[in-house]
Amino acid sequence: MSEFVQYLVNGLTIGAFLALIALGYSMIYGVVRLINFAHGDVFMIGAFAGFGTLTTVGVSGGMAVPAMIAAVAVGALTTGIVGTGIAKAAYVPLLSSPRLALLIAAIGVSLALEEGVKVLTDARFKSYPTALDGGRIFSGAVRVTWGQLALVVISVALMAALWLFVTRTVTGTAMRALAMDRDAARLQGINVERLILTTFFIGSMLAGAAGVMYGLYYVQISFGMGFLIGLRAFTAAVLGGIGNLPGTMVAGVCIGLVQSFSAGYVSSRWTDVIIFGLLIAVLALRPTGLFGERVVERA
Amino acid sequence: MTPLTRRDRGRRSRLLSAAGAGLLLVPLAAACGSGDSGGSGGSGAIKIGVPAPLSGDSASAGQDILAAAKVAADEVNKAGGVDGRKIEIVEADDQCSAQQGAQAAQKLLNSKVVAVAGGYCSGAAVPAIPIYGRRSVPFVMDASTNPSLTDTGKGKVFRTCGRDDNQGLVAAKFMTGPLGAKRIALLHDNTTYAKGLADAAAKSVKQAGGQVVYEDALQPGQSDYSPVLTKVASTKPDVLYFTGYFAEAGLLMKQRKSLGLKFTLMGGDATTDSTVLKTAGSAADGYIATTAPLAKDLPAAAKFVSAYKAANNADPGPFSVYEYDAVKVVAKAIDDAGSTKGAAITGALHKIKDFPGITGPITFDDKGDRTDPLYITVQVKDGAFTAYKKLDKSGATWVDAKTS
Repeated sequence: MSEFVQYLVNGLTIGAFLALIALGYSMIYGVVRLINFAHGDVFMIGAFAGFGTLTTVGVSGGMAVPAMIAAVAVGALTTGIVGTGIAKAAYVPLLSSPRLALLIAAIGVSLALEEGVKVLTDARFKSYPTALDGGRIFSGAVRVTWGQLALVVISVALMAALWLFVTRTVTGTAMRALAMDRDAARLQGINVERLILTTFFIGSMLAGAAGVMYGLYYVQISFGMGFLIGLRAFTAAVLGGIGNLPGTMVAGVCIGLVQSFSAGYVSSRWTDVIIFGLLIAVLALRPTGLFGERVVERA
Repeated sequence: MTPLTRRDRGRRSRLLSAAGAGLLLVPLAAACGSGDSGGSGGSGAIKIGVPAPLSGDSASAGQDILAAAKVAADEVNKAGGVDGRKIEIVEADDQCSAQQGAQAAQKLLNSKVVAVAGGYCSGAAVPAIPIYGRRSVPFVMDASTNPSLTDTGKGKVFRTCGRDDNQGLVAAKFMTGPLGAKRIALLHDNTTYAKGLADAAAKSVKQAGGQVVYEDALQPGQSDYSPVLTKVASTKPDVLYFTGYFAEAGLLMKQRKSLGLKFTLMGGDATTDSTVLKTAGSAADGYIATTAPLAKDLPAAAKFVSAYKAANNADPGPFSVYEYDAVKVVAKAIDDAGSTKGAAITGALHKIKDFPGITGPITFDDKGDRTDPLYITVQVKDGAFTAYKKLDKSGATWVDAKTS
């Protein structure tokens, strides 16, 4: 029983990351109908930006918490800017081209980011200064650390903020309008290009924040880290009904749980088979995702 | 879904490398003719190939290996070279993968290397061996420890490192001996090296009367191994022996600690990279690894260590000394052979007896393995790997590794 709870805790932690990254896929798909394959690498850039901040500022003594917050902020801002830059340079010029051109551009951007960081970081692993060490809430049969709790709380807070932004603000409403019909939105006086860039900014910021939190939690980062987690987050986005934000959040957590329980009750080497098998099954049986591609709430 | 394959242990370029090997390299290789080693003419530098993972998850190990090869070559050149000719190191990135391993081998042959000294992942060496073999270019490995490599190498493959059946035996003796473990869990990552070592350890554990309660693979590149560790813990082992690479080892230590698991964590010789210590921090304390002796515990290596530090401004990696010896022994063989023909160098390597390497005297048996066993255990103490225990000459009792 205690193992079951431990798998649950581990799965929720993994799922919190996946949900944050998956939201970016979902939002961007909503407004430009593009699976942004560079999104996982934007996440990686965030982790490196946070690493740069922490190693410059240092995390000794009382500086630990402010330094971590600063790192998350810098990571999110950096990826926001990088994400917007990518959209402006590589995607916006292709908006009226066939969809395939955008997809190929995204794959190109993904490889360029990865190889670029590889050259700049001499391809070695980088280790975050240990800031989240120790500190347990429960230390009986089931272990929960403060780090895990903070992760889940921050993820939920960010997701809630995003939800409020999309449903309660003018910009958010414009995003939803854009998701429903680009031409109609333009006729209503919405600046489509600027709105697309705003969406990239927000989606990339979430990925960047996730990247820094990932570094703080798992410590070890490398240029290739965004690839597998990006694919899994993409699976979560499809599973939740791409474009459907609440569905994506739930699906992200579900994939995390699948990862944890499959390692526990089947075998870790089957994890990817199960996750990507799920992707194929959803695409084949319910292409709109488990929760449906709800056009109205697409953002 | 996308032409990209999973994570960057080289698999990404599967399509590219398959196409590259198929379309470009095979015609080139054919054009170069076969049988003869190619040689590098009568003058100019003698080229020695160094394949290593220079990118991907194992890049830090590969770069340490390449740096050591350069130190060795510098030393040989400063002492007048080989037969009055300088030696030159030609590098090739094998990314620790079979696909890139084959491509790196072709690249080296196309650059007309007369011998190859290097490698890290056994999985990358497997496809490279027949490629070198067809051109009779001898291959001296510094770190690839899978037993099958020299078993199937037809006498043209050598290594300055040990063999995993040997390492597995030492690990099993250590776990059932000094650690007093009865229930042993084995975790690998499904690579040639890791699976081979886990299987060897399982066999020896059973022979030593221990019980293997868990043997399975983790999926490298995931970062979160808490579920795997929780699963391992449910089998109530005394020791977990992880036979994979250092990219995962540090994370396992850290996550074992935060889960509060009590079993001892041990690893193989691919986990002694300094990356592990940086990642795991204080969670690395007490971690034990089976490995060949590290540079700082080899008295003969002191001169090499200072030369390496001067050139690279960093400490040598765990396999740097073995790569240094590999390059030196190749240079010696070329000198002895008085020729750059592959067959002559191979013959000279087999004739080498008690070459004074910094890792001990080097003599190769018929297969190309070193004649004396190498493995010891090291333990993390105060944030560094320090020599711990080793088997004495009889192979039955454990003694302190430092006292000799």
